[in-house]
This record gives sequence, structure tokens and C-alpha cells, in this order.
Amino acid sequence: MKEKDFYFNKEQGHARAIKIIKEVRFSEDSRDYGYMAENVPCQDGCPAITNIPGYIRCISEERFGRSYELNRMYNIFPGVLGRICSRPCEKRCRHGEADLGEPVNICHLKRSAADLKSSWHRIKENLYAPTGYKIAVVGAGPAGLASAHELATLGHKVTVFEAMEQPGGMLMHGIPEFRLPRDILDLEIKNILRLGVDLELGVEIGKRTSLKSLLKDYDAVITATGCMNAFSANLPGEDLDGVYSGLDFMMRVNNGERPKVGKEVAVIGGGFTAIDCSRMAIRLGASKVSVNLRRTEENMRIDEHEKNEAKFEKIRIYGLVRPVRITGKNGRVKSMTMERTRLIYTPEPPFRKAVPIENSEFTIPVDSVIIAIGQYPETGFIDTKIKLDGHRIWTSSDSYRTSVKKLYAAGDCVTGATDVINAVANGRQAAQEVDEFLIRRKRKKRIVRFEASAPSDRKRSDDFIPQVKLPVLDRNSRFKKITNEVELGYDHESAFKEAKRCYLCNLKFEIDVDRCIYCSACIDVAPRDCIKLIRDVEVKKDGSYGDYEETTNWRNVVAIAIDNKRCIRCGKCVEACPMDCISVTKVELIEQDLEA
Amino acid sequence: MPKKDHYVIIGNGPAGNSAADAFRANDKDARVTIISDEAFSFFYRHKLPQFVAGNIGEDDLKVRPYSVYKEQNIRLRLGQCVDRIDPEEKILYLRHMEKVGYTKLVIATGGSPRILPSLTSFEKHLRFMTGYNNAIKLMPEIQKAKTITILGGDLISFELVKALRTMKKKIFFIFYSKCFWPVELTGNMSAKICANMKKKNIEAYADDTVETLTEKGNLYTLKTASGRTFKSDLVCCFLGLVPNIGYIIGSGIDTERGVLVNEFMQTNYKDIYACGDCAQIYDPKLKDYWISIGWSNAGLQGKIAAMNLLGSSKVVKPLPKSIRDVVGIKIQTSWWDHF
Repeated sequence: MKEKDFYFNKEQGHARAIKIIKEVRFSEDSRDYGYMAENVPCQDGCPAITNIPGYIRCISEERFGRSYELNRMYNIFPGVLGRICSRPCEKRCRHGEADLGEPVNICHLKRSAADLKSSWHRIKENLYAPTGYKIAVVGAGPAGLASAHELATLGHKVTVFEAMEQPGGMLMHGIPEFRLPRDILDLEIKNILRLGVDLELGVEIGKRTSLKSLLKDYDAVITATGCMNAFSANLPGEDLDGVYSGLDFMMRVNNGERPKVGKEVAVIGGGFTAIDCSRMAIRLGASKVSVNLRRTEENMRIDEHEKNEAKFEKIRIYGLVRPVRITGKNGRVKSMTMERTRLIYTPEPPFRKAVPIENSEFTIPVDSVIIAIGQYPETGFIDTKIKLDGHRIWTSSDSYRTSVKKLYAAGDCVTGATDVINAVANGRQAAQEVDEFLIRRKRKKRIVRFEASAPSDRKRSDDFIPQVKLPVLDRNSRFKKITNEVELGYDHESAFKEAKRCYLCNLKFEIDVDRCIYCSACIDVAPRDCIKLIRDVEVKKDGSYGDYEETTNWRNVVAIAIDNKRCIRCGKCVEACPMDCISVTKVELIEQDLEA
Repeated sequence: MPKKDHYVIIGNGPAGNSAADAFRANDKDARVTIISDEAFSFFYRHKLPQFVAGNIGEDDLKVRPYSVYKEQNIRLRLGQCVDRIDPEEKILYLRHMEKVGYTKLVIATGGSPRILPSLTSFEKHLRFMTGYNNAIKLMPEIQKAKTITILGGDLISFELVKALRTMKKKIFFIFYSKCFWPVELTGNMSAKICANMKKKNIEAYADDTVETLTEKGNLYTLKTASGRTFKSDLVCCFLGLVPNIGYIIGSGIDTERGVLVNEFMQTNYKDIYACGDCAQIYDPKLKDYWISIGWSNAGLQGKIAAMNLLGSSKVVKPLPKSIRDVVGIKIQTSWWDHF
């Protein structure tokens, strides 16, 4: 787009600007991808590349339905992931950088869009013409359902085979209802199935049908069977009554059983499953629950929010301990012996390893032990020669293709146990690869989209709005019924307030140096050090600009530049510029439809 | 000319001051800086209750005058908060956007108030007194309040009760004997403490817990699990200390409950040591970790940390326990025995 197309006439105001927002430009230039990764870090951090600033902006405009749909374009479970996402985006949010406060509660906002949209909200699907191809998806977990949805929108006939009696995989069987109400999950699964996806429940591949026959009957098969086998800790006494594997424990509870846990429960492991088990044990009547880690709390893979909720429910987290053996009486667990560990440095990530301290054993009384140290995939159903990567299914690099023709794999069965947002992203990408294999061309492509925009109406005071905490149930109400959802969600006002905190990093403010008269008017009105006199700029490997080298000596100034990593999108510079040489562009990483 | 070493100590308590003294005594030329977020000189923490009650003045709180630092050429940077440490670059980031470089660093930031998980949702209604900063805020509120509820679970809570009695305040005392800090109360100690308090006209209740705490028009209504209701002008929480390490997490310096150090007080970085209440010390004989408590331990550790940073290899050991009288009950602790 040419500069003049961005021209914003202040006298004619906002309406004039809106009128100009018609022309868009698309780019596949590596510099623009580099710009996105550097300047819109939340979207770059999201495995599903959801348009986070876009859907947050919709919330601040109280367009909850549009916000939900923007999310659903890339993440088929906005309501679900608004509750249980591991939030890689929030770790990258600029608001969380040093001196800028706490990250925007992106996950809670995602949930608010799902909760607060109209009940009669219109689901938007970008449907392609039917192709006549038949595809089987093995596993109705998040990766399988995400790939089924993507394949169905691409016009293929999809059948999902699920070994359990209910779809959802770990979402349905692994995550407790107090974190994820099942009506939310059911609704979002139904919305997938409405596209004509056939779901065959209770069909275990290898028993009622075989993978070989699926490969024969279908044009392609995606296996997304997750990680449903729990690792054993190989402890003496692990076979005693009262010793559970974390996954088995959660599955039994989610299927309506109430395993006997007693009063004192020790959980081994520090992931989401371990914390879920500990919180569930409290709900099942335990009074003293501990989570035991080989390393330290700092190294846990879960977010602070989950840790704090567990602590609020009186769960103790002990670091630097390692189980040695479990002992019992009359076949039932009675105590567990642990030993102390210390951290040593390792050159490879995660850089710290816990090593046991000799002769540091101690014993604690326990009524039950829950071992939640991870899961691995089941590959026994694969009745054809296939290349494996340890326990996992091997796929060729940057691809979802396995060593078997027509067989693709996605989600935890490839990556090992990760999180739901990664599984969803994987499922979609695998589906697009299958589509490319069948259609013999790419029909969707990630691309950077530029669109002229009006300056935002953010205020400097918005930067100082403290993070809006999500209301939660008080402790007693949580335990009245084990399915009571703990997090209550934002109301309109809270969602609006939290959304206003977003820096809207997808708005790119740029000075046209050819027209700039170096009057410094923009620098004078800038609320912080976001506009810089520069003498040089770092150019990265992909050609995108990195950090600016500033100067205070006018003789050395080569340009005045807006540092979009420091910009708060207040628009003051645009108002102040006498030459109208500051443009505002909405920059988004999107999936472009190549059939259009 | 080689640049002088810059020894920086974060924390202006007994551990930090002891480290600074040891640095200066053993290296006359180095720059020694103490950085503290407290806007007040090195003070006696145990005197804070009498201070907030107005029974003693600021001068009585001070351990040593400012002139001592001047004489020793130790730079005091008070009221300055360290937000983050970059141990690779050896830089401290202060909240007011200043960067401070160091050659050797001692972390001696002591403890912050221990808030039981069950009380976290009421945190905004609770008052603490772990340092001068929050004591000076609490002072006018205490003067104004007629009725005060104390959630008591440490020795300083008893000291405050003593001080408030001199002010003729109405006191409700909820005694958290099961999570008493820093020692575990055994046998019928808790019942005896409550009985002794009641003799002194203090409404004391043992082993009840806060169910709800609400505020309306500066009046706090506290309901307990056993159904009791207390209405007061102020609710103070004294449940001991936890290592103050929030600003360290994520820096690369290993932490668990506190900053993890070996028996020489060294962290996983060779030029960074930690001491006092914020350090979690590995004892190779004990085959376990321990967290130091108390003034004397802190002072000793500060000195050892500084000496070891300068090349010694002294091993730290906890001081022997001593007996302290708490409302007529003898408690064995190495905490505060210095006074």
C-alpha cells in the first residue's frame, strides 16, 4: 500500500479514517514475519497463532460474539481453553515485562468472550466445497477433534473413532469438572460434529477394527490417540491398595467413581495432573494433601494461578524430595519413605537436575499415594510396521507424516504429553497437511496482513489498571460438590476493564521519515520513551528490525522512529504531528484462503 | 588502575549489616553498599510493637546511628527496592529504573509476612508488622482503633498484645497454636497461653480459624469456623515470616522455600551468597535443609557469608536454642535470645 492510502485527515476526524480502512496488503516477506514475532509476542507465543490483540480489542468494544469467533478460527475450543489453557501467551505479554506490571489475563478474557456472548450467537464456519475424500481420525481428544473440524471445513468426509464411550479425550476424562464444566465441553464438541463429522464411540482400534483396514478404507488416517498410559515410578510398594496413577485416578473420578483416599495423601509429580489429583483428593475427604517434587516449586510446569488455587485449598507443596519406597500393612499403603535431593547444574535444558542425597531418608505416614509423573502414548494398536521415537510416533521433521503411507499423527502421541492448546494447534496443522496431500496443493497459508487503522483510543491511565482478578468460589462452597466450578468468570465490567489493559501490540505506529520535518512534536507528547532519535538500527537475520541505537546528538540522527515495543497506542503522536506523517496500521498474522 | 570491587548487600537487617561490617573490616578499599526497601536505618524488630504503641520513639528503634556507616564508608541506599537480579550480567534492577552493578552480592532480605493460604483472600483487610515500612503505616491506625483483633501465631503477636494493653485497647486474640512460628507448641502449652491471656482480660481463643472477614465503614467483621463473630477497627496478622525471595524467582538463582545455599552460604552462583531469614541452607551432616531464624543466627551468617565471599571457607551452624518466656510459658528457641 502506498503512503497516501494511509493518509489520515484530522479535520475530517474518525469517520474519514474509517472510510480509508478498505485497502489491505498481504505479505510473505520474512521481515514481516520477524516483525510479528518481535512486536506481537502474545500471538507468537500461542501455538495456535490465535489473534489475541484482535479478540481482546473486540471485548473492549463489547463485541463478545466476534471475539469468540476470532478465537474459534484457530482454536476450536475457546470456552474450554478459556478455563484450562496453559497460557503460553501470557508469559510473552508485554505487560508482564519488567516494570510494566502483570500480564493481561488473556485466558480469562478468552473465557469471558465465551461466557458473555449471546446465547443465540451465530457460529461462523468457512466451508469449502465437498471433495469426496474420506478421512478417518483415531481419537476424539483435542487434537483429533481439532483435525476433524478442520478437515470437515475443508470439505472432506470425516469419521472419528474413539475408544471411550464419550468424546473429549483428556478434556473429558483427565481434567476435573471443577476446572472444566462438562456442559461447556459438550457444547463445543457438538459444534464440531454439526459439520457432519461422524463420531463412532467405543471403537477401540485393534479390536473392533484395525488400523490396516482404516488405511485401506479411507483416503488418509490421522492418529491422535494422545498419551493415555501413565509412567510408573518403579517404586517398591507401588502395587499396594491406595496407590494410584494420576491419570487412572482422574479417569475414575471423572467416570463417577469415588476412590478411597483416606486423610493423608501424598501426590508425586508437579504437572497439571498432579495438581488436579491433589485438589480432587481434598474434595474426596482428605485433610492433609502434599504435592512432592524432585526439584522445586519454581521449576513446576504449571502456572502460578494453579499453584495458588492449590495452596488456597490447603495443599502443601514440598520441593527437593524423592520417593524411595511405599510400605503397607495388610495390602494397604501405610507410609512412604522419601529422600532429600539437591539441585545440580546441567548444560542442557532444563539446566537443573535433582540428585538424591545419600542417607537422607525420612518416612511420612500416608493413606494413599498418587503418582502423577507423566504419561506416554499407546502404540499397541498400530498393526503395521511404523517408525517410533521412543514411546512416541515418529513424524518427519516439520510434518505430521508418519513412516506409513497415508498415515498422519498429531498431538500428544507425537509430542509426548504437552497441553491442550498445543494439541489443538497440532490437530489443525495435521489436517491441513492431509488436505494438501489429497488436493495436491496448499489451500491455506499463514501470511501477514496489513490494514490501515484509526489511532486507538487507549489512555496512558489504562497502563496502570491493576490486573483484574478472576472471582472464585469461597473454599467451603468449592467442596460442597466436587463438580462445583471454582472459577466464576468475569462479568461485563471486569472483562471490559481487563481488556483495556492490552497494549494492542498489533497496531503498528510508523513515522514516514521522508515527510518528517524532525520537529520533535511527537517526542514532546509521547507519554513514555516510545519515540526515539536513532542513529542506527539492528537488522536481524530475517531482515526485520531489532533494537534501535539511540542518540541525543542531532548531528547523528538518521531518523525519528517509533519503538512499537514501548508504544502504548495512545495516538498522541498522531494528533501532534503537523505533517500527518505518522501512520497506524493493523498488522495481523492470519491464515489466508488461497482458493479465494 | 583496576576498578574497585563493589560488594552489594540487599537487606539492612542483622545479616546485611554484619556482612557489610565484615566486608569493610577485611577490605578497606572496596565499595560497600547496602540497599534496603525500608526507608529507615537498621532497627530492632522486636521493639516495633512498643514503637507502634507510641511507648518508644524512632531513636530507640535504631541499632546504630548513621554516622557509623559514614565512618566505615559503607553506602546506605534506603527506601530503594530491588526488583530483579541478573546474575549473569551482575546487575541489580531497582524499582526506580536504576541499574546497579556488583562484583559480589549478599542477599539478606529476611522474611516477609507469612499468610496462611486460607487467609489469602482476606489479605487486603489484614495489617502486618514485619518492618518499619508497615509499622509506620500501622501506627496511626492503632492509635485510632478502639478494638483490635489479632491473628496470633508468633512471638511478636504477644509483644504487640503487651504493648496494646498499655494503651487500654480492647483485644480479641485468635491463637493459631497449630501453626505457631517458629517453634511448634507442644502438650498443653496453647491452652496455658490462652488461660494466661484471659487472666489479663484478653479474649483469647485457641485453634479457631477465620471463615470470613468483611469490611464496612472501617469496621471489620470476622467470623470464625466455630461460629464466633468479632467486630473490630483493625485486624492484625502475625503468623511469622517466610523467606522474602519473590524478586529472585526466575533470575536463575535457585530457590525453594528460601534462597538455596550450601553450608558456606553460597548460592548456585559463585559470587552470590545468601544469609539470614531468606536463606535455605543445606547441611551435609543433617542431610537436609534448614532455614535460619533469629537475630543472632542472621548476624553470624552475614559475617560468614562475607568472609567466604572474600575467600574463607567457614561452615555455618545454627546457634544453640535458648529459653524464652511467652506469656508465662517457657518456649525453647534460638530466636531473639540476643536481647
